[in-house]
Amino acid sequence: MEQNEILKVNGLTVDFATEQGTVHAVRDISFAVREGEILGVVGESGSGKSVSMYSVMGLLADNGTVTAEKIEFDGQSINASDYDGKRSYEKTMQSVRGNTMSMIFQDPMTFLNPTITIGKQLTEPILNHTKLTKGQARARAVELMTLVGIPSPETRLDQYPFEFSGGMRQRIIIAMALAMSPKLIIADEPTTALDVTIQAQVLDLIKELSKKMGSAVIMITHDLGVVASLCDRINIMYGGKIVETGTDKEIFYTPNHPYTKGLLACIKNPEENDKDLVPIPGSPPDLLKPPAGCPFVDRCESAMKICKLKMPPETVFSDTHKSACWLNDARAEKGVNAHAR
Amino acid sequence: MENQFDKKLQDIEADDALFEKLEDSEKDSEFIAVEAKTYFQDAWKNFKKNKLATIGLIFICLMLLLAVFGPIFSPYTYDQQDLTSRNALPSLQHPFGTDKFGRDIFVRVMYGARISLSVGFASAFINLIIGVVYGGFCGYFGGKLDMVLMRLVEIIYSVPTLLYVILVMLIFGSNIFSVLLAICISGWVGMARQVRAQVMSLKEQEYALAAKVMGAGDSRILFKHLVVNSIGPIIVTTTHMVPSAIFTESFLAFVGIGISIPQASWGTMASEARGLIMNQPIQMVWPVLAICLTILSLNFIGDGLNEALDPRKRV
Amino acid sequence: MPANIVKDEVVLKVDHLKTYFDATKGLFAKKQTVKAVDDVSFEIYKGETFGLVGESGCGKSTLGRTIVKIYEPTAGSIEINGRDIAGIKGDELKSFRKDIQYIFQDPYASLDPRMTVGEIIKEPMKIHGIYKTEEEMDARVSQLLRTVGLKPDHIRRYPHEFSGGQRQRISIARTLALDPKFIICDEPISALDVSIQAQIINLLEQIQRELDISYLFIAHDLSMVKHISHRIAVMYLGQIVELGESHEVYTNPMHPYSQALLSAVPVPDPVKGKEKERIMLQGELPSPIDPPSGCPFRTRCPYAMERCAGERPQMKMYGSRQVACFKVEEENS
Repeated sequence: MEQNEILKVNGLTVDFATEQGTVHAVRDISFAVREGEILGVVGESGSGKSVSMYSVMGLLADNGTVTAEKIEFDGQSINASDYDGKRSYEKTMQSVRGNTMSMIFQDPMTFLNPTITIGKQLTEPILNHTKLTKGQARARAVELMTLVGIPSPETRLDQYPFEFSGGMRQRIIIAMALAMSPKLIIADEPTTALDVTIQAQVLDLIKELSKKMGSAVIMITHDLGVVASLCDRINIMYGGKIVETGTDKEIFYTPNHPYTKGLLACIKNPEENDKDLVPIPGSPPDLLKPPAGCPFVDRCESAMKICKLKMPPETVFSDTHKSACWLNDARAEKGVNAHAR
Repeated sequence: MENQFDKKLQDIEADDALFEKLEDSEKDSEFIAVEAKTYFQDAWKNFKKNKLATIGLIFICLMLLLAVFGPIFSPYTYDQQDLTSRNALPSLQHPFGTDKFGRDIFVRVMYGARISLSVGFASAFINLIIGVVYGGFCGYFGGKLDMVLMRLVEIIYSVPTLLYVILVMLIFGSNIFSVLLAICISGWVGMARQVRAQVMSLKEQEYALAAKVMGAGDSRILFKHLVVNSIGPIIVTTTHMVPSAIFTESFLAFVGIGISIPQASWGTMASEARGLIMNQPIQMVWPVLAICLTILSLNFIGDGLNEALDPRKRV
Repeated sequence: MPANIVKDEVVLKVDHLKTYFDATKGLFAKKQTVKAVDDVSFEIYKGETFGLVGESGCGKSTLGRTIVKIYEPTAGSIEINGRDIAGIKGDELKSFRKDIQYIFQDPYASLDPRMTVGEIIKEPMKIHGIYKTEEEMDARVSQLLRTVGLKPDHIRRYPHEFSGGQRQRISIARTLALDPKFIICDEPISALDVSIQAQIINLLEQIQRELDISYLFIAHDLSMVKHISHRIAVMYLGQIVELGESHEVYTNPMHPYSQALLSAVPVPDPVKGKEKERIMLQGELPSPIDPPSGCPFRTRCPYAMERCAGERPQMKMYGSRQVACFKVEEENS
């Protein structure tokens, strides 16, 4: 499984300096993305799911510091500490971003410049990263617009962002992300701002295009319905840590971590008959002072004393399925054994 | 790579008792790590970081203390003439020297501070009240009423201040109240516009709608919610109004309109010293220095507050 | 499932309600009207949760806001406990405001950032002068905070120190301060995390059981609406196109728009979710300034007929269901 990993991240930690102190947004996480797969990253707001991806792309705000043992993309290190100085790192990242690695943002309106035509915004990355002429770049833009299903692309290229609806704008963002046939697309909640019917269209589009172009996709979302209908593999993040990782079926059918189980218990499957919602009590941990042990301890039904003191080790269930929880420790059985497995 | 703490944990880990269930009382899932801090505590903390603004604030406080208590503890009064020591240079008896009538300049500067500062603060206060009420009213109710009232504001604003001053002086004579009135006639316009813009954008906020749904009356929504939430820009505008009023007063006094002699304001003192500028230039320095430092300090405070109170400028 | 409904006790009755906005641009431009809510009628019973679903721009929030008179209705009536409040103002309206409260979508914007939690919850009590002393109010605030699962010592904190879910609970505590009979929940969970959404939904259900409150639950998250609602109405372009028992509408939507909307809901199941057939809608939501003639959905409807352009379909009863569609009409005649 090592052979075709497109992105490999080891020991990634992200801190933010704020007025109140240091926020430990991401704490020592490791993950990998394989060629052509769709990886879902699920977590609450503040769990570090977006921050970890932004830091991989080198797009963090100035008050954030990233440390990692290894960030490798397409066989090349993109870990800032492997470069001497900010400039050489930035130079590499500029050749990577929008080229072999691209991003789809949550709010298309903040990403598109309202005073420039769609055509210009779409051809710009093509002109930057290739030697194509303006005319060829325009032809490519028309091709992309057709690909994402925008009718009469030639005329629409000369229009401004405000002349498009929300769903259409998101399609343009996707077209921009696809402009260079990237090997990896990072999609940060691309459908949260959209209505369900449009969301369905956009998800189908991402799925279809990823298959067609062989691009891997990292799908950052909080919506388990979206994850289930799109992703091959899922990382569950909580309190700056990856608490469980597995294939879609492993996560949905045999979840191990109490947080994953909790998440599944508090969503509704509209096709099933009524079951009571079992919410997870409390609120996520404040990452100004993250707990020493498991981040989920204060909301966990079966928490033990050890959970408050030490981060649980990872238990491996299969090649793909791993979870970090003390309940998997043999001694948990010997304790009060109050929890039901 | 295990540190001592981890080693210790390793030992504890062997303890099976740790695998007992954690009691609910030991969990704190509604924990809030951020310290409870009010808006003004936060702003004060930010303000203190700005050195120039802090120095300005200390200077203004000192000036206020001198203005209020200085003349009381001084052996001289502002109009007490001592013809034996006219145009004296600074000395121990007269720290800033004396003027052509032998009056102590130090006490006159402190007395001038009373007038200049009270004109500055009083006019800022009056402008604040009129501006907030007028602007709040226009912004909140909007529509045709707003259009008419704002055109009125533009008319008031389009007449030069000096014209108002001359008119007021003609009618009410030269005294401190006329000066105040003249400054205030058009001074509130800026505040009114500022507040109107703030209120207009805030009134669509959900907390304003929430108050409406609760049954809150218009004045409650306007003053308890909208104006309170515009307090940052209001304070900043007010602090910038004080120096401009002080400057106007000094300027008027200098050209001979305003308060009458022997009362001392910084402007009149500068005006009197003008005649002696060739022989006794030092007499000119004191009032001008007072005006400059005060206005500078107030501007620093204004900028400091602007930064401290503006949420966009914070992380 | 939530509490018992008293079917013969109507709490809210909305009849042919219309809310139009003036959208004329400039002084001399042609007069334009946005028909945000266009002829809507329904009633809500005591202890019932009435779900209102539709996509953004369909007028569901405008409808909610018109009912609490943030917007003035253009025509029609809003009856609360048998009394029409569409035209009343001032003190008369104020006394009705006690009975009918509103929970806003964005818990970050709906709490005044300059007030402490205590002041926020006390505000409605002060406005209506329910309690005489500060002590009585403090006691009630502590009780309300406990009801919504927060600690009484949070009373002196400011909203920005809380997380989204906690803030939404504060705003629920505020709406409960007046013991309302009816609460409009305007997408109260859409800005919250999944694990927190369930908390809020359960809290709302628990409050309903204890206090016999009716809800109008506005949302675009269809799975949650189905869970909490007894009946739901589907809105499209300012009109209700289908209304019925929530379970029935979900399992067997009759209006073509309801069918498309429900098929688009992602299923949280990796096998079914990936296999699910979706009805893809063509085109885009028409502008409410210039809505299509006849049936508002006809421009995107896969079954549109000539008749749909000519006249507007009326709501007709099919069992316990009401649908406004000529195709359904023909199939059932």
